Amino acid sequence: MYRQGIEGFSYYLGIRSLEDVAAPTDRVCVLNILGGESRTVTPISHAFSGGNVVYGTAPGRGTQVLPTPIGDVPVYNNVREGMNAGHRFNTGVVYLPPAGVRDGVAELIRVNPKLSKIIIITEKVAVHDAREIRAIAQANGVDVIGGNCLGVADSWNRIRLGGALGGDHPDESLRKGTVAIFSNSGGFTTTIAQYLATEGWGTTTLISSGKDIYIHYAARDFAFALSNDARTKAAVLYVEPGGYYEHEVAFDKPVVACVVGRWKSKLTRAVGHAGAMAGSGDSAQDKERWFMETFGVDGLWTPETPHASAKGAVVVNIADIPAALTQVMALNGMTPDFAPTGSLALKPWMANTQGIALPADLDLPLVPAMAPYDAQIGALSKRIGAVFARQGMKDASGASVMDPKTQVTSVHGHSVLDLALEPLEASFALPLVHEIADAHDRALLDVAVSAEVNLVGEPMLIAADAAREAGNAPNAIMAAAVSIVGPRRVERPLACARTLIDLFAPTGLRTGRDPAFDVTMVAVDEATRALFLARPDEAADPRPEAMLTAVRDRGCDSVFLRFLETLGGRPSRDAILAAIATTIAWGPLTRKRISRLTAETLPWYLRLYGVMVGASIEGRHHERGNLHGIPRQERFSAWTVADLCYLAVTGKRARGDEAKPLQLLIGLLISNGPGSISAQGAKGAVAADGPQTPQRVQINTAMAGFLTHTGFSHGGNGFEGMAFLLQQFEGSGLEDPTDPNHGLDLTAMAMAFAESYKAEKRKAKELGLETRALPGVHHPVFRGKPVNHDPREEFIARFMAERGDYNIFHAFYRELVTALYEVGASPYVFCVNIDAVIAALLLAVLWKDYRSGALTGGDLETAAFNVFLYGRMIGSAAEIDDHMNRGRNMDTRTPASQCRYVS
Amino acid sequence: MQLTGLLHGAPLLRYVDFPVTEVLGPGASEDEIQDLLNRHGTVFVKPIFKGGVGRKGKAGLVGVVRDLKSALAEKERLYFAEHRHGALVAKANGVTFEAGVPAQHEVYFSITDDTHFRAPTMTITHKGGIEIEELDHSELATVPFEALTGLKAFVVANALSDLGAPREIISPLVQHLPRLWDLFHHYGMTTLELNPIRLRAEAGGRLLPVACDFKAGFDRDDPRMARLGLPAHLFAGSVSEFEHEVNQLRTYQGQSDVFVINEHGTILAPTFGGGANSLVTEVLGDSAIISSDFGGNPPYEKMKAVARICYRHFLRQSNVLFIIGGKANNTDIHETFRAMGDALREHFAERGPTPLHVVVGRGGPNLIRGFGTLAETCDALGVPYRFFGFDSAISEVVAYARKVDAWMSDGGRAVIARHMGLKEGGLKDDA
Repeated sequence: MYRQGIEGFSYYLGIRSLEDVAAPTDRVCVLNILGGESRTVTPISHAFSGGNVVYGTAPGRGTQVLPTPIGDVPVYNNVREGMNAGHRFNTGVVYLPPAGVRDGVAELIRVNPKLSKIIIITEKVAVHDAREIRAIAQANGVDVIGGNCLGVADSWNRIRLGGALGGDHPDESLRKGTVAIFSNSGGFTTTIAQYLATEGWGTTTLISSGKDIYIHYAARDFAFALSNDARTKAAVLYVEPGGYYEHEVAFDKPVVACVVGRWKSKLTRAVGHAGAMAGSGDSAQDKERWFMETFGVDGLWTPETPHASAKGAVVVNIADIPAALTQVMALNGMTPDFAPTGSLALKPWMANTQGIALPADLDLPLVPAMAPYDAQIGALSKRIGAVFARQGMKDASGASVMDPKTQVTSVHGHSVLDLALEPLEASFALPLVHEIADAHDRALLDVAVSAEVNLVGEPMLIAADAAREAGNAPNAIMAAAVSIVGPRRVERPLACARTLIDLFAPTGLRTGRDPAFDVTMVAVDEATRALFLARPDEAADPRPEAMLTAVRDRGCDSVFLRFLETLGGRPSRDAILAAIATTIAWGPLTRKRISRLTAETLPWYLRLYGVMVGASIEGRHHERGNLHGIPRQERFSAWTVADLCYLAVTGKRARGDEAKPLQLLIGLLISNGPGSISAQGAKGAVAADGPQTPQRVQINTAMAGFLTHTGFSHGGNGFEGMAFLLQQFEGSGLEDPTDPNHGLDLTAMAMAFAESYKAEKRKAKELGLETRALPGVHHPVFRGKPVNHDPREEFIARFMAERGDYNIFHAFYRELVTALYEVGASPYVFCVNIDAVIAALLLAVLWKDYRSGALTGGDLETAAFNVFLYGRMIGSAAEIDDHMNRGRNMDTRTPASQCRYVS
Repeated sequence: MQLTGLLHGAPLLRYVDFPVTEVLGPGASEDEIQDLLNRHGTVFVKPIFKGGVGRKGKAGLVGVVRDLKSALAEKERLYFAEHRHGALVAKANGVTFEAGVPAQHEVYFSITDDTHFRAPTMTITHKGGIEIEELDHSELATVPFEALTGLKAFVVANALSDLGAPREIISPLVQHLPRLWDLFHHYGMTTLELNPIRLRAEAGGRLLPVACDFKAGFDRDDPRMARLGLPAHLFAGSVSEFEHEVNQLRTYQGQSDVFVINEHGTILAPTFGGGANSLVTEVLGDSAIISSDFGGNPPYEKMKAVARICYRHFLRQSNVLFIIGGKANNTDIHETFRAMGDALREHFAERGPTPLHVVVGRGGPNLIRGFGTLAETCDALGVPYRFFGFDSAISEVVAYARKVDAWMSDGGRAVIARHMGLKEGGLKDDA
């Protein structure tokens, strides 16, 4: 049963011409106008169309309004209320949830006798409901478009009804022309319009038909309206498989049909007869054939085989639509509506190879985007550096992770084992640039840290010495010093770094040491210049010149240092520190490996590194121009960070490879993941300052947080292994622990100890006492096999063997675990753990001085603690920076519900 | 979503009092089968397939038996029978024993929504029991009818009269067939087919239509289907674990249709919109792992959940994460890209990094914000990427993604792995 609309149709059809699809006279009522999709789309449609939405409905939310750029749209509880309020409309737009669509259609039709069109945007309307919608609309003489569509639009009259054709900038895609579009795909309706414009074709009416089983406004209906629209000279149909909607449809204007979906045949499950009847014969291939027969062409249109007639062409790639249309129209003697607006060639708008060399045909150069996207991308590129999503970072880290199987921790993707093999200054930089610094940047870092270690005349040194005198452990001594390196002490280098980033970000500089970069192109005002130059009260500070000399001596280049030298004055030490930091950070910053925040705060970390190493050297060794007797320029120009640490631990200049074991040790100690107490201390301090306002986070306090979360058990216990070894080698006459020809019978020593340990164990058991644990032997994870190994210990052993290095203490430990098993003191061969390796390496470094009496047992303990702190200082810097970038305020606290009261 | 066979079809037909032949399931005892044979003489043994499997008879997958020994032999033959239909292979799991219905007349009957008419449409012939494609059109009646009033007796009567059906079958069919509309329309069906309906002579010679096979297609978007209480596993025949996971999201969070095309593919291409989906999968060919249409404007949470599932199943094997769509109308690109980026970040955090190249082609609202967010994620993860705007032809971007994939397969993957500090295979060095 249907009401007769246009004569000649055996069903109701009311739309006579494409002009009527989205007409300026249409007035719209939107159902569920305040729903999520409508709320964003309707205001744009309304404004674009000059205000065609008269009201909307939202049950229970009547009296509200939908704000739009051209005024509020009233909202009523139902259609009747709006009608009673005097509003009149002929078009209903349905944004209701699927289950409500059929009833919404019924409401529109029943309540408004003047209704002529309904556009159903909702997807997933049940076929059952679509069936009934079709019947209701047919019986009442209403055209339905959709469902599951994106509405209709008219480029001539700037009208958009329902849906979002043209997106949030309809003017971009809805350009006036002579081509109508009818598309099963809502997304492609806009895309096709935009593609057509590249060849100079504009549009008249665009219809997103939807692709449900029931296409209420279908190709046959479109063909009729196309014929009657004088504005439209041609049409594009975008067609997907399924349904007979296009079968034997006659067009009297040129048409390009794009048929896609051959692949779908692969996916179709076998069906029975009824399904086969309804669903066979309407595949993509079938539809291609229908259109080819209609157009009288014997093949698909491709650029290589452009089959086309004056009636049309069939393509299977939407990118071919514009060219096919141009050809078809040329056969009809018609030319495009306007000049081509571009091409569809590949245009990468944004890219980053992350420093990987791609083949030239993949590494396509960036192409400036069209307006307004170019400006938006420009604004993005000014936002230099990475941005990290904030989240609760309790017990979590974006910097470090420990593999629970191997116990090996990685920091920014580099395992501590690998870091142990890297020069120490590379490890110093890693937490902050997230990459292994190359030799050039390492040299710069050496200069920066060297310039901060000598604390003569600084309050940090006074505080450190006072703490030392008070009997504090090395962690508290360092904490006293770093507490003084507060925000004001780094205000200027941080301001310099910030300003350098501001000045150079817009230049497109990609690396901090680009020798071709013309620094004179960066203009500065007087205030900025003053920021970088030394003040009169700094005239006596020799370090700026010494640093610049050191940079030259080391053969380094820095765009930023060159820039400082163009300012026509004497740069300050702070400015040089900032310039070095920015040079190191620039590459990772522009590659978005690190955030701007990290780059800006890098000078603070470098200063803290220097102060912490410096504070571990007693005050009496800090002199003007000399540290432990080593002259300034030598340290600045030639020393590495490892040399400085060696000096701090031994009080001596490292000769040859002497600092190498220290580098290994510090590398191994960098991190044990975010769960370690030291990391927790650092993260807690950041959380307490509030990383969501990162400018308020005191990085020095966070370092103090790490330091106060170390102690004799966590950091100081490295000495236990040394004490054990001292006990074993006391009176052995050992002179050089690195000499394999030491003349000692390690096996016998190990067996003797194992026997005594076994006896001790037995006795303790008889007395019901706990047996003492042997430092450096056994590990709760590496256990249970006949012979067990700590992979970290194996790694170091392998490395030392490859280098031909020998360490008697390490060798003893290996003998010991075997002996313990052989005498029955252990159920299997325990592993030599990483603590033993650390003790062995460090004791070998200090053995001679200990033997000579230059170092006491207390000194050894301090040295062991300091070495731990040097390593963990690096790991903590990584956690502090990570937490500042990713964390939320106070995110390390434990909810009260998870805390326990113990009585 | 299809259901075939009388094991589950018979109870559905009983909802509307449509006579159906007696059927025993795979668990039937020998005594029960013997009893069925005793009462009906002939028994059909049919394999049970999940989903829709057509033309079993033609494939020799229906056994006709008259004694227990043959019944058991056919049970053994058909229990795990395989049925090939084109490229698809279905495997049976069980058999039914269906009582033969002696009859002179066999009828084919179906209801479906026919796009020729845009209306529910009945197809009927009194020459049923065979493949109806083999019949001449003049021997079939295909009749659309009014959805609001349903299938009425007169529609059936008129059709059978037009076909010149034997008079004795018209009245029984007119009485019984309209009931099937209730089953079709009120339980979320899109197709209902009974072939054959055999007209069994009852006492007094009156004929009774008895359904001897059953096929139905269901509308996955229609909650009415749930009224039937059919177990979900009936429709899980060829749905992979991945599809199942994504489909679960579908039920409450809107559209997300996925298929695994090639589980060994190397391009993971979540696509938006049916159009892009069709185009992209076409051009990617076997390189594509999945075909997907995540629909318009998926909310952040849904998009992230879908992305997480995609990554968990397929990222490790993927060379290219290819995010592609046209110029979106109302999809918030920023929201979808943020969701996919966040899921990627979390995936890397939970399962470790994997060598990957990201290629994007997209347009739509908040495009550059979306690009920016995704770029930041890739930068943070050290993953190379190239983003194309909507002024690059989608097909060209697809071709570019294929080129990247080829390069990755040809050593590029190892290059990226090394750059990311991973072993060639993508595992972390210290793993």
